[in-house]
Amino acid sequence: MTHLTGKNRLFGVFATCFGSIFLVSGCTTEPPKPDTVTIAMLAEPPDLNATKATDSESFFILGHVMEGLTRAGSDGKPSPAVAESWEITDAGATFTLRSNAQWSDGKPVTAHDFVYAWRTVVDPKNASEYAFILFPIKNAEKIVSKKAPVDSLGVLALDARTLKVTFEKPCGYFLSLTSFATYFPVREDFHQLHGERYGAEANTLLYNGPFRLTQWVHGASLKLEKNPTYWNASIVKLNAIQIPYITPDLSAQLNLYKDGKIDLVSLGKNTLKTAMQERFKMKKYSDGTVFYLEFNFAEGRITRNKNLRKSIQYVLDGEEFVGRVISIPGTLVGTSVIPTWIAGKNGLFREDYPIQSVKPNLALAKHHLAEAMKELGLKTPPTLVWLTGDSPGASKEAEYFQNLLSSKLGITLKIDKQIFKQRLAKMSAGEFDVVSAGWGPDYNDPMTFADLKTSWNENNRGRWKNAQYDELIRKAQSTTKNTVRMDSMAAAEKILLEELPILPLYERSVIYTQSDWLANVGRRAVGFDPDLTTATTRDETAKN
Amino acid sequence: MKTDALTRSDFVPATRTGSAHQISRPSLSYWQDAWVRLKNNRQALASLFIVGALFLFTVLGPYIWTQSPARQSLAEISQPPTLGLRALVVDGAQTIAPKAVLSASLETLAAPHTRGVALQWKPIEGAQGYALYRNEVEPSERLDFGLPLAELKGAAQLTYQDRLNLEPKTYFYTVVPVSQGEEIGSRAVTLEVDVQLALQENEAQSYVAEAKIGEEIRLPAHPFGTDYLGRDMLARIIAGARVSLSIGFFAPIIYIFLGVLIGGLAGYLGGRVDMVLMRLTDLVIALPFLLFMILFRIAFGVGPGESGIIPMVVALVALSWTSSARLVRGQILQLRESEYVQAARLLGAKTGYLLLRHLVPNTIGVILVYLTFAIPSTIFTEAFLSFIGMGVVPPTPSWGSLSDDGIKTFLTYPHEFIVPAVFISITVLAFNLLGDGLRDALDPKMRGRE
Repeated sequence: MTHLTGKNRLFGVFATCFGSIFLVSGCTTEPPKPDTVTIAMLAEPPDLNATKATDSESFFILGHVMEGLTRAGSDGKPSPAVAESWEITDAGATFTLRSNAQWSDGKPVTAHDFVYAWRTVVDPKNASEYAFILFPIKNAEKIVSKKAPVDSLGVLALDARTLKVTFEKPCGYFLSLTSFATYFPVREDFHQLHGERYGAEANTLLYNGPFRLTQWVHGASLKLEKNPTYWNASIVKLNAIQIPYITPDLSAQLNLYKDGKIDLVSLGKNTLKTAMQERFKMKKYSDGTVFYLEFNFAEGRITRNKNLRKSIQYVLDGEEFVGRVISIPGTLVGTSVIPTWIAGKNGLFREDYPIQSVKPNLALAKHHLAEAMKELGLKTPPTLVWLTGDSPGASKEAEYFQNLLSSKLGITLKIDKQIFKQRLAKMSAGEFDVVSAGWGPDYNDPMTFADLKTSWNENNRGRWKNAQYDELIRKAQSTTKNTVRMDSMAAAEKILLEELPILPLYERSVIYTQSDWLANVGRRAVGFDPDLTTATTRDETAKN
Repeated sequence: MKTDALTRSDFVPATRTGSAHQISRPSLSYWQDAWVRLKNNRQALASLFIVGALFLFTVLGPYIWTQSPARQSLAEISQPPTLGLRALVVDGAQTIAPKAVLSASLETLAAPHTRGVALQWKPIEGAQGYALYRNEVEPSERLDFGLPLAELKGAAQLTYQDRLNLEPKTYFYTVVPVSQGEEIGSRAVTLEVDVQLALQENEAQSYVAEAKIGEEIRLPAHPFGTDYLGRDMLARIIAGARVSLSIGFFAPIIYIFLGVLIGGLAGYLGGRVDMVLMRLTDLVIALPFLLFMILFRIAFGVGPGESGIIPMVVALVALSWTSSARLVRGQILQLRESEYVQAARLLGAKTGYLLLRHLVPNTIGVILVYLTFAIPSTIFTEAFLSFIGMGVVPPTPSWGSLSDDGIKTFLTYPHEFIVPAVFISITVLAFNLLGDGLRDALDPKMRGRE
């Protein structure tokens, strides 16, 4: 398959017309050896500058073309990547880099590349939205808030292959952070050379991952090819990943899959039936995201009233909501902001600290509402502004709640549907009473969810504040003792469940289908998804 | 010569020998004449009936079809048209005990219904766990088992209860043994299950007050099916018609009135007034509708989740009067100079008389025709704006927002899109054909040309 870029396109059409006469036989006699995966993306990555990336599309591409100190395995656990070994103490960490890790131009990946990248991330001039993920490193937070110079960041290249990290305070989950895209290396000379254009085109980015981006036609297509200079190139069985389609429409993607144009497609609620009729084999996985209702605690908002929040909690029948409204197999009724799949002390966090799910109880809901109205001095049930997304699923959920709250409690909902960017802006500005939102994990530790409502977290959109909860999270963040950390987070979670600044709704599950020949595609909650690094053809799996 | 002198007798009035002019056809007024010609146009007449029926549907609909357009029945999500399904009343909280002995390798534990299907299976040799699937078509050799419902860890897990969005239809459940993380599809067991519609006791009692567990009740009919939250489509179409048709009717009447006023003034007064008014018209034509619609939303302080109907009507009125103003001005200019108006003026007719007797009646036909074309285009505009989410807000439906909701599930549940789309199409077509017919009927130049 050839891909035509900009100017060549018109010429290409003619070439195909004339060329086809001679090519027909060559194309049809032998099916192509499946060493290329073709997929469609929901959106085009804005750019591929790892120090600034925030969206899952960028993370997906970056995860395939770049590599950090460690790489998250299918179980979410970090395994050696650019770093071949490490030592982590309460004070800091020392990483030893492997000697054969190379950039796509053949030069070695050095400790200095990490120092430069991390300094760039926290540099206030760079204004990276993901800078907070580097906050466990000494002085990172101060540098972002311009209280310390950039070179005071607690990271040093002792020599080309030794990287020394000093912590702000003991950090028990630092290793799982190092596989995250914001921690990827950037080579200084190359970054300086391209400046603002760094990561904006296929040829203004250096690659050290299993693939390299060889073609990027903006607004149209991307192509990733196997990177021969990758240190572990033997695990990569694919020759290329083609992304010739970019569309957010899952029905359009399903049609592409039906026509055999793409090899992998996620199925939404509305395409499940089609998939069954078409006899596709379906699989599911948890993408780790927790969905919840967040209440606004700004001065003057009635959602500050705890009884009001409780009445909404008691009127909601989670099983009915998940079974009838969400109706994606594998979706779990949300019980807490910390999802059930995340690891705890030894096994799962939820197994160590079980919680009781709240059963719907209309009498209690009405009782709490009456109390709330008394406290707020209201004669009639209140009206709430319900901020939500513009996807079909989001409006369906909102209309479900609108009917539920008005028919059972008499509460009126004004549904404010917004596109993603606008919704985020309104969330930050606090222009809502209730917002339906979701949070996906950045690293495999309960902390990625547990610190969501701390007073210093930018993503605490409801601006809820609780000194005791803040205290417990601080405690968990400043120790590497696992038991203490988990215990504090569980105690903090109890406060969340009691005070209800957010009401958990469900843990998402994703149904997808893929071409029969394709095997070993990693689907996971933490890190980039899907992971095609080790994807193979099915018969190769059988041989192994 | 006096012999030829005229005498008085020469001046006797002649006697009528018969009427020279006879009215061969009954005298018809302008409107009677138009009606006669409209009646002969079958398309237009049919359209007139459809338009009349639509108005009756909209006005009387809610009194005849009393189901609430907002009532959600989660047991009947996206059901195709029915005349009232029979539903079993069940106890939703009931726990089902596993059987001691199974007669088949995979069985249902209790009567399967949409509140839950309980399954139990015999242990499959070598299984360390089981994966459960549900399909709507029978699995083939391709091992297409359908929806992956659950993975059960441990060989002792031999029961499962499915509660996931069950519909009253036939399902194929498959239990696949899992060994060492691999599903062994070749040793799967499949069971065909007919699922019956069921309601929980309290749900059922909202339809039939004395419904008891174990009884069967008949649910309300849904001639157009139900939508994605189990709401009755017919009730929503009626509610949507009230929004769509009232905007489609009142907005054009207001803006055409405005257009007639401005166009009439410009045409009749002429000169400087005409120049100013027509340049204003040119200016307004240049304004983009969608942008102004958004600006009006902000200017009116339409908050989140509040209806955008008022700014929509204001924007329509403020920006759509221009073509009717131009049309009327042209007509008035022409009529003003026509001989009979000149004659009337010479005979001393006053301005008011001229306007009411000559100018307005002679433009009314054009205006009426313009109105019948403006109505469908306004209905379309409303539908379009609600379709892109700038019109009505939930739970209020309009035909546009119903189409918007329906198109998302078009491939799986086509009726949710087809029903509102057909209503929009029929309405717009009827108004257009009626407008065509009216134009032919009202134009005096068309007389006798049918």
